[in-house]
Amino acid sequence: MNREEIYGKLKELMVDKLGVDEDKIKENSHIIDDLGADSLDVVEFAMGIEDEFNVPKIPQDDIEQLTTVNSILDYIEDKTK
Amino acid sequence: MNFKLPKLKIGGIEVKVPLIQGGMSVGISLSRLASAVANEGCIGVIGAAGIGMLEPDFSTNFKEANKRALRKEIRKARENTDGIIGVNIMVGLSDFCDLVMVAFEEGADLIFLGAGLPLELPISLPAEKLKEVLSKIIPIVSSARAAKIIFQYWARHYNQIPQGVVVEGPLAGGHLGFKKEQINDPDYALEKLVPEVVSILKPFEQQYNQSIPVIAAGGIYSGTDIYKFIKLGAHGVQIATRFVTTYECDASEIFKEAYINCKKKDIIIIDSPLGLPGRAIRNKFLNDVIEGIKKPFSCPWKCLKPCDFRKVPYCIALALTNAKIGNLKDGFVFVGANAYLSDKITSVKELIDNLIKEYKRAECTKTI
Ligand SMILES: Cc1cc2nc3c(=O)[nH]c(=O)nc-3n(C[C@H](O)[C@H](O)[C@H](O)COP(=O)(O)O)c2cc1C
Repeated sequence: MNREEIYGKLKELMVDKLGVDEDKIKENSHIIDDLGADSLDVVEFAMGIEDEFNVPKIPQDDIEQLTTVNSILDYIEDKTK
Repeated sequence: MNFKLPKLKIGGIEVKVPLIQGGMSVGISLSRLASAVANEGCIGVIGAAGIGMLEPDFSTNFKEANKRALRKEIRKARENTDGIIGVNIMVGLSDFCDLVMVAFEEGADLIFLGAGLPLELPISLPAEKLKEVLSKIIPIVSSARAAKIIFQYWARHYNQIPQGVVVEGPLAGGHLGFKKEQINDPDYALEKLVPEVVSILKPFEQQYNQSIPVIAAGGIYSGTDIYKFIKLGAHGVQIATRFVTTYECDASEIFKEAYINCKKKDIIIIDSPLGLPGRAIRNKFLNDVIEGIKKPFSCPWKCLKPCDFRKVPYCIALALTNAKIGNLKDGFVFVGANAYLSDKITSVKELIDNLIKEYKRAECTKTI
């Protein structure tokens, strides 16, 4: 999957798990500050990423770091190489 | 007629009285209180946060000081009781995993983890050992959603679920897992949370073919309250505030007197440096903080992950330690919402006997 495809799928997941409008999502959005996620949303979202992109367990420390759409894209790109 | 208290089975342990004494830091529930509670057939819990603050080398060696002090307290508790001893550890502590390992090594029966999501132990352990440590852990949550997410995370990553869960409502003491505006909102009352948690955990009980005891906490004051929450589906209760006004409580007399002397209007909600609201007794120290007066301190250890010590107006570990030892000029007292009801110091035995008596009376008359 290239970054474009990942981004497309990620947006769907964000709409589904975080309940945000698709057109609010930008690559530099912060998922807590800009998209209104709370600490529980973030964990649920991380589990959604594991399923959707078939990446191995995302450790709690990483979950806490994955706060912008960009950083999440990098992470998924890296783990699905 | 024969009234029996329901037995609590949690983590393979049978508890005679379905009552857990909530862990209280800093230094409020240590071996003395925990062993006295355990001797009455309940679960006594040592509060681990900041436990090493009174060790001589705390400021230079805080991780070792905490570990050593926790080890000492668990051993002392064991010398004084054959009953059930737990340890309460906050997930937000920077050495939380070290303390979990000490509690495990010292044979704590249960490890209660709150003030954060206990998703994983940041340490590498052989699979079998990890399973064993996890099997002692009881998460403390403030919503059905948090319970569900923790159970989901454990199920998928460890193929194992917690052996029980404490649900702490907005009337609890110390740090609260709620936003300020939720605290008085009836939608977040413990009476609503308990049945929600019970029902959200049902699918996990079926999938793992095990029962998951749900423990209700926060504002439970009388045996009638205990009866009410058992009727609402809780398997047991956790009580903290009431144990402060006992002879055995490890806090100073001044701390206990603050409970006895406080009025309802003195109990306020503060913003703690941990980033959560907390419930405390208003005093000069807190008035200063509210007015924006800073209490300068240096922080050589950074005990709390979320605490930005350059920005916060005071050190909470220090303030709570000062309160424990009776120096309220430089500290303040955490309390549950019902602390103002306490009017005398009793023994742990007297308190528990009374709660059981009230429970039985409530059951007899079916008053809720
Ligand atoms: C002085 C004090 C200190 C506390 N410290 C902790 C703590 O370190 N960790 C924790 O999880 N809960 C802590 N709590 C919460 C209690 O364990 C308990 O769940 C809660 O207070 C129950 O409500 P109650 O006090 O109305 O019975 C504290 C409560 C008090 C009053």
